[in-house]
Amino acid sequence: MFLTRSEYDRGVNTFSPEGRLFQVEYAIEAIKLGSTTVGVRTPEGVVLGVEKRVQSPLLESSSIEKIMEIDRHLGCAMSGLTADARTMIDHARVTSQNHAFTYDERIKVESVTQAVCDLALRFGESVHDEDAMMSRPFGVALLIAGIDELGPQLFHTDPSGTFVRYDAKAIGSGSEAAQSELQDKWHKQMTLQEAQILVLRVLKQVMEEKLDHHNVQLAQVLPTTGFEILDEVRLKEIVDIM
Amino acid sequence: MPDGSFAHPQQRQFNPYTDNGGTILAIAGADFTVIAGDTRQSEGYSIQTRYAPKVFRLTDRAVLAVNGFAADGNMFVKKVKQRLEWYRHAHAKDMPLRAIARLIQTMLYAQRFFPYYVYNILGGIEEDGTGAVYSFDPVGSYEREACRAAGAAQSLVQPFLDNQIYFKNQKAAAGQTHPTHLPLSDVLSIVIDSFTSATERHIEVGDGLEIFVVVTKGHSPQGLESIRNVQEVTTRADTDRMFVIRRELKKD
Repeated sequence: MFLTRSEYDRGVNTFSPEGRLFQVEYAIEAIKLGSTTVGVRTPEGVVLGVEKRVQSPLLESSSIEKIMEIDRHLGCAMSGLTADARTMIDHARVTSQNHAFTYDERIKVESVTQAVCDLALRFGESVHDEDAMMSRPFGVALLIAGIDELGPQLFHTDPSGTFVRYDAKAIGSGSEAAQSELQDKWHKQMTLQEAQILVLRVLKQVMEEKLDHHNVQLAQVLPTTGFEILDEVRLKEIVDIM
Repeated sequence: MPDGSFAHPQQRQFNPYTDNGGTILAIAGADFTVIAGDTRQSEGYSIQTRYAPKVFRLTDRAVLAVNGFAADGNMFVKKVKQRLEWYRHAHAKDMPLRAIARLIQTMLYAQRFFPYYVYNILGGIEEDGTGAVYSFDPVGSYEREACRAAGAAQSLVQPFLDNQIYFKNQKAAAGQTHPTHLPLSDVLSIVIDSFTSATERHIEVGDGLEIFVVVTKGHSPQGLESIRNVQEVTTRADTDRMFVIRRELKKD
């Protein structure tokens, strides 16, 4: 792809003669540099897992935040330029709260995903008098997990503003190997614990460091408890079972 | 003053509202809801029209009755319907009754300092299949109830409903309790009696009566078969069923 690079990769709002938006494609490349993130859907709930790259022994691994709550029934894991995700998750949170305020019900997982994707393509040169907007595409992909009247669901969004629903999805640097492993191991009637272990096994395979309860993070969305990030004690129990 | 003097201070005012009379009423059963309204629209002693509907179908399972200032009411219903369509496009489903109730609150309160001069009663079937009635004041305070009357003859009808639906001031026979929900046939009789009585005693009520009946999916509309002029307005199979009963009321 870099062989075809031309002047057309400069502007964020200019199509190349072949009909491509290079800046969006580069943004998608940026995700492949991010740490691996995995999501698995089961009939019992959705599990999210991320690798936390601890680059220094002096780094407090608990300060790395790659899984965030959107609402009681919605969670989100990210890969890529995680700082960009803050804007998107903030938008998702506001959208979800506004929905609850106006309609007295939980927003659907697909609706909140659509709201995030609407934001993804709102970049370009802002016109005078317009409030500041994003000048470039977001360099982050999200796995949005949640539960609504249609049951547990997992969505993947990328910088092009496309979203797709998955049973199991991996993003980030180890995503290719992780995705084929998920394809082999995922099955329809998975229990929650099987999903937790699958997520950890997949992460373990693609991580350079030895997996422990400090360098991964697990979260789940259940019908009963809603979204929660597993604390290190519970995480260690699952790591030990694996 | 036109000559520029201030000798005689004058005050001018403009009242953008009027009361167009009429009455609305809704009663919830265990697996149905009845929402009714008369069709007279008046201003003072004049009748503007003998047929101005005040009860509107919103979705397959929601009906809205609007009473007060007719122009505001019609515009409000139009805007609610627009929001329901937007919601359907955004979320690929009909808005549940409870969500419509909250939406109506936010829409009314948005006009807190120039309110729609309307009293709304929303009736229909809840997500769990039970009949429900929500009543509103003009700025959006709302509450789910078993029954509610509003409009010109509210003060005549509501005490009657309190007695007949809530069994207020009635003592149950020894060893017996009052039922929590009445069957459809009893409710329809109460609704029809309420409007014939209100027509007798209130000059702003009369001409025609429109009664909407919503029955939970899979439940039989028992009690409707003996009623004249029932028209089914259900649009899709495998949903709650909706019926309209149209009656004449005295025109004097």
